[in-house]
Amino acid sequence: MALQGSEEIEEQLAEPEEIGDEDVSISPAEEITLNVGPGREEDTDSLLLPWDRFSAWLHCICVVGFDLELGQAVEVIYPHHSKLSEKEKTSICYLSFPDSNSGCLGDTQFCFRFRQASGRKSSLGCFLDQFDRDAPVCLKRDQGHYYGYVYFRQVRDKSLKRGYFQKSLVLISKLPYVMFFHSLLKLIAPEYFEKQEPCLEAACNDIDRWPTPHPGKILVLPIMGTVMKVRIPTCYDKPGTSQLVQSTQNDNLVSIILPTVHEVDLFTCFHPVFFHIQMLWELVLLGEALVVMAPSPAESSDTVLALVSCISPLRYCSDFRPYFTIHDSEFKEYTTRTQAPPSVILGVTNPFFAKTLQHWPHIIRIGDMKQAGETVKQMKVKKLKNLKTLDSKPGVYSAYKPFLNKDEDIIKQLQKGVQQKRPSAAQNAILRRYFLELTQSFIIPLERYVASLMPLQKNICPWKSPPQLRPFLQDVFMKTLEKAGPQLTSPLKGDWMGLYRQFLRCPNFDGWFRNRRREMMKKLEALHLEAVCEEDLQVRVQQHTEVETVDLVLKLKDKLTQAQREQLPLRPGTLTKLQAHIDSVILSLPDDLQGILHKPSTP
Amino acid sequence: MSVRVPSMSVLPPVRKDRVIAQLPQCYSKKAAVQTKDEFNSKVKTACQEQRTGTVGRFKIAKVIVVGDLAVGKTCLINRFCKDAFDKNYKATIGVDFEMERFEVLGVPFSLQLWDTAGQERFKCIASTYYRGAQTIVIVFDVNDVASLRHARQWLEDALKENDPTNVQLFLVGTKKDLSSPAQYSQIEQDAIKLAEEIKAEYWALSSLTGENVREFFFRVASLAFEVNVLAELEKSGSRHIGDVIKINSNSNNLYATSKKKQSNCCQ
Repeated sequence: MALQGSEEIEEQLAEPEEIGDEDVSISPAEEITLNVGPGREEDTDSLLLPWDRFSAWLHCICVVGFDLELGQAVEVIYPHHSKLSEKEKTSICYLSFPDSNSGCLGDTQFCFRFRQASGRKSSLGCFLDQFDRDAPVCLKRDQGHYYGYVYFRQVRDKSLKRGYFQKSLVLISKLPYVMFFHSLLKLIAPEYFEKQEPCLEAACNDIDRWPTPHPGKILVLPIMGTVMKVRIPTCYDKPGTSQLVQSTQNDNLVSIILPTVHEVDLFTCFHPVFFHIQMLWELVLLGEALVVMAPSPAESSDTVLALVSCISPLRYCSDFRPYFTIHDSEFKEYTTRTQAPPSVILGVTNPFFAKTLQHWPHIIRIGDMKQAGETVKQMKVKKLKNLKTLDSKPGVYSAYKPFLNKDEDIIKQLQKGVQQKRPSAAQNAILRRYFLELTQSFIIPLERYVASLMPLQKNICPWKSPPQLRPFLQDVFMKTLEKAGPQLTSPLKGDWMGLYRQFLRCPNFDGWFRNRRREMMKKLEALHLEAVCEEDLQVRVQQHTEVETVDLVLKLKDKLTQAQREQLPLRPGTLTKLQAHIDSVILSLPDDLQGILHKPSTP
Repeated sequence: MSVRVPSMSVLPPVRKDRVIAQLPQCYSKKAAVQTKDEFNSKVKTACQEQRTGTVGRFKIAKVIVVGDLAVGKTCLINRFCKDAFDKNYKATIGVDFEMERFEVLGVPFSLQLWDTAGQERFKCIASTYYRGAQTIVIVFDVNDVASLRHARQWLEDALKENDPTNVQLFLVGTKKDLSSPAQYSQIEQDAIKLAEEIKAEYWALSSLTGENVREFFFRVASLAFEVNVLAELEKSGSRHIGDVIKINSNSNNLYATSKKKQSNCCQ
């Protein structure tokens, strides 16, 4: 019961493949002039100062090492002028190292997320907002948080006092492009550990020459002698399609094509608990307090990111920490027993948490990933009281009763894949599609209802303020489900009503609805403005006094600046039309007033 | 005789002054990678028959530009890629990068130009950038004998990261406008001698006046292109190019087919 027929999907794929094949030769310089969206970017790009391009991708790069006297310490921050508060530095220190004695020998990659210290504002802010406009909600810059992408190396080194070389190279960014930054680190970190600071300097210099992270463009990013090619998706892409297809023919030394900047391998991540994926989907959808206890930061962060992304294209709106330690500044806040557990998803590795978070309603325990045979046999959801502090069996511990009936087909399909040794990428694609269809089935009735809250076109009058959106009424919405509910697109039975009722109370609904509202209000403003442009202003001016005409000019000028600032979704040409209207109205006024009104309005 | 692939619509067409229809000639027959007048006939046929799929597989070549500090590596690239010359010296940090698109015998072909720093400080990281190079351009200043003397060392460093039998070498003297004919002919002798020894093709040019700059890069692009096409023709043998693409597109679809299709795809 796919929303998009499979034929359509193939079509989507066939086309981009050609793009993937042909566009290898876009140079960064040309990239900038390739048009997507309204064309003001070209001006901004040429206005960029040194480090602006770098800042569009990364806040900074940190090196975290282990000092025998101090413990973990940030050894280097690059570029040197980057600002981090002491609190942020402390967070980075603890979050960049495994926090338990989990013999992570060799190289490990993982990611964490921490709160940004308040009060700092980037002068680049509005310039960066421009990229966010076209990005899907899940890929917008994280307001208020930073991501840390870690490449940790731990190897025996007898020449060192501690007997081990332990160091992390950490990329700090607001962009949630986990796959992209992991690939980037794979190129930079090993070189850095061998060749030290000049390598960082060169890498940062490379990054500062990159085109800005504009969704929808194919970006060619030279780094450390290789060229990475990526495309950041836009919110206009059809979900579940990829525009860049990995080409096996590529010479890895010369260029690397990343098929996705952010999508983790869901199948691999959920492998240890895949009997429960549907229940986990519900838990994430409803913003339930969830903790992942994993043997290593890599497994913990992968699983948390997979959880957060399984409800895509919905954005998970509560806090989530792919890797959380006892040193975290939110440790007390999140582990207190005096309140109900917060709506967050935490990934932890320290066994201490098994005790601290014992009271949490839903616990995913991941064992050693290597014991893969385990997943072939059926597993029950475990009772919470069976959770021992240490050495509990892997599995999902929860008293939760899912609203929807279990979909046996997907489990069977995946199981068959395991037996037939289907490539993990194919398994991942199946699972991703499954989640996408489930989420879309769930969200479409909401979309449909919310769209009906929009006032009718005929109620938009150019000479009155735009009409209000109608309020969201839960009862009315629930009524629509009888005829146009998820049963139209999903074969799954169960208590969908209960699921909606619960969802409407959770932060994910709130975040989703606010975003929708904002978009619709913009649309209303745009429709209103278009209606104004259709009017014959000359006739109106003749019927009104001079004072009123001046007032009209000022109001229209306001509208014009607002439309530009908020980038209203206008029909092309509307702004030019509006400007022409303003000019012609001004011309109908006496000369002295003309002089005053023609001056460019100060924003 | 330029042929454009329709699906390239996302890209602006290749600039008119980047179209190569004839094999550009070497600078000096005494030190050239090859001295033929025309492109290899197999290559020409392959391109004429529009078997661009073959060529398409390796349509990028990585070029690294190495040489002493301040011999004019960045200026050389800027003259060609941006048609600009900046008299002020600005040291390259780590590495600069440009991508230049050509159309050779009607087939799109790109050069990745990696402009490495000449400073000692960055020597340790240089090897990272050298990897996978198909063409090595060693630059020296025709007015600076020492910079020519160091060419051998630069070559040695660059070759450590690459298969010596699979790279094309160019030895390029810059700042020709600054030297008198007498001075120049002296250093040219040494340079050609060295070029012969290391099996490099010798060029002398001026980024300030632009003399020979375009000719040089056209030559680099053409020779790299020719080698790539020949290698690919040899590899693919009698196999049909269409098949290669087809197999590939099937395997791509496999990862995204929905439940319905899965059964026949994954047997």
